[in-house]
Amino acid sequence: MKRLLSNLLLAAAVVLGAHSSYAEDAPATIRFGDVGFGFGTPFGVGLQAIADAKGFIADEFRGTPTKLEFTYFTGTGPAINEALSNGQLDFASYGAVPNIIGKANGLDTVILASYGGTTIFGAARPDLNIKSIADLKGRKVAIQKATIIHWGLITALKNAGLSEKDVTIVDLKNADQLAAIAAKSVDAVFGADFLLPLEDKGVAKIFYKSSEAGASGDGFGAFLVTDKFRKAFPEATQKVVNGFVKAAQWLADDKNRDEAFRIWSRAGSPVEIIARSNSGSTLGQKYNPRLDDFFVARYRSGIAFDREQKLIRRDVDLDQWVDRTYVDNAVKSLNLQSLWPDRSAAGVLQN
Amino acid sequence: MTTFGAEESFRVERAAPDVQLWKVRSLALRLVLPLALPTGILALWWAASVNGWVSPQVLPQPDWVLQTFLDLLESGDIAAAAAVSFRRIAEGFLIGASLGFLFGLLIGKSETADAYLGPTFRALAAVPSIGWLPILILLLGIEESLKIVILAKACFVPMAISTAEGARTVPKGLTEVADILKLRARTRFFKLTLPSMVPFIASGIRLSLSQAFVSLIVVEMLAGTDGLGYMMVWGRTLFQLDIVIIGMVVVGVVGFLLDWLLKQAESFVRRGSGADA
Repeated sequence: MKRLLSNLLLAAAVVLGAHSSYAEDAPATIRFGDVGFGFGTPFGVGLQAIADAKGFIADEFRGTPTKLEFTYFTGTGPAINEALSNGQLDFASYGAVPNIIGKANGLDTVILASYGGTTIFGAARPDLNIKSIADLKGRKVAIQKATIIHWGLITALKNAGLSEKDVTIVDLKNADQLAAIAAKSVDAVFGADFLLPLEDKGVAKIFYKSSEAGASGDGFGAFLVTDKFRKAFPEATQKVVNGFVKAAQWLADDKNRDEAFRIWSRAGSPVEIIARSNSGSTLGQKYNPRLDDFFVARYRSGIAFDREQKLIRRDVDLDQWVDRTYVDNAVKSLNLQSLWPDRSAAGVLQN
Repeated sequence: MTTFGAEESFRVERAAPDVQLWKVRSLALRLVLPLALPTGILALWWAASVNGWVSPQVLPQPDWVLQTFLDLLESGDIAAAAAVSFRRIAEGFLIGASLGFLFGLLIGKSETADAYLGPTFRALAAVPSIGWLPILILLLGIEESLKIVILAKACFVPMAISTAEGARTVPKGLTEVADILKLRARTRFFKLTLPSMVPFIASGIRLSLSQAFVSLIVVEMLAGTDGLGYMMVWGRTLFQLDIVIIGMVVVGVVGFLLDWLLKQAESFVRRGSGADA
């Protein structure tokens, strides 16, 4: 009996060992997570959603047995952290504040590319005289805390010479924010483009748009892989990043703008709202996947924010966390250096 | 008359042969049996986190959770959250239970009122408090009044149902005696109706409070910025599941103690009211 058992163990070790020596090339499935919106089948509103809808990553694996699975989490950042921690995802694309929280709590993620920017809007009650961030002094502002929107509000306040103490922050989820401003429980709300319909309904007027506040006003986030997957499948990881960068390249082409809006509208916002949210932005620049000094500076500000707000208990070593090689390889092999030149920390192009 | 005393008299009869031994055994069973399951869960939790069956972010080790609990206790976070939550329960309960009592009395005593109001009441009662939330947020905003109204509603329904039940089931014999004695309405209410309703009111209070407790946590999780429910949501947002677990344990223990205290009070009141006689 003992002998049988040890033989079995030996056999298992041989099989597993042999398997891991040429495990590369064929992960059976690659699982992607993204923030999702909408009822029924939620869908994403960023680069990864484009890569999914247009099959850019799938094309990289054509002719191989590898299958791709895309999941859009309506539970947003916290839900993605939980899924990563449970080993249910290999790649994920979500906002900086929750992914810094995940990293600080010990998730073994590695940043592969920037997911670009998200436009943050501020909407105020029409009966109040709030025309700029400075007018928020003494007001009650609703946001969902511990999100990139929270970072956006605090940064905007700082840029306008105010601090967090000058306003009362109320932590509410998106749907409750809409109700709260309609019921006049709060004076203003900060959020993504889901706030735009409020203006049409006359419930609020938009007084702030992050993309008009300079290069570093928009929200930011990253496309990450688990370290386990990256180590086991470096080639597959490169292919995934290639597909992701191709999606960004496709977005940069102005003739695809309308189609991109139509794809994002699957998450529930009408095309005209998405168009309005993106008016004045070049999608190529907004969805720049590179991990240059600009990206690093933004993540540093995100980490500092998480520390300051006591959202994390431990620091995050950004240099250890970011792996530029994959996105740099992809940009080089696709010859896209001229589309996305290096940006300085302040967002200025460098040649 | 012994509708409620059945349990107790039953126990006395069984204990008769060897009272001493039975008492010791039943005490041991009463203490050991309820603790078996929590101990088992704790052991499983410990094993799962030490052996890495579940990732430490999702299920932190029990000793980490204990450490976080002590930290939160020291910083006063738990006390502050609990104080907010208990104040809400107290306010919601006072409003909801007293209105529920009056309403229950009305539909229990007057068949006309029951015919008019009863069906509507039962239909509205069927919608859980949380189902009212979206509309109430629009009407009341996200202020304190929203939580109090939800809690008051949660207390109102069980209190009204129990009171109405109690008002309807005043023992027939006693009613007849009262009729013969031609008691005045006032005397009749305080000497007959109210005492016979006491057990119903007591269980109404217990039910309302447990309902209020459940609704409180949910309402704080959905539309709160403070309190125990919010503390749990915030822990999840920060990916610090130890805070969530602490919240669950605190809520569970407090809920259990509350229920136990009320049970004691209830049996005390019943003995005092003579409902068992």
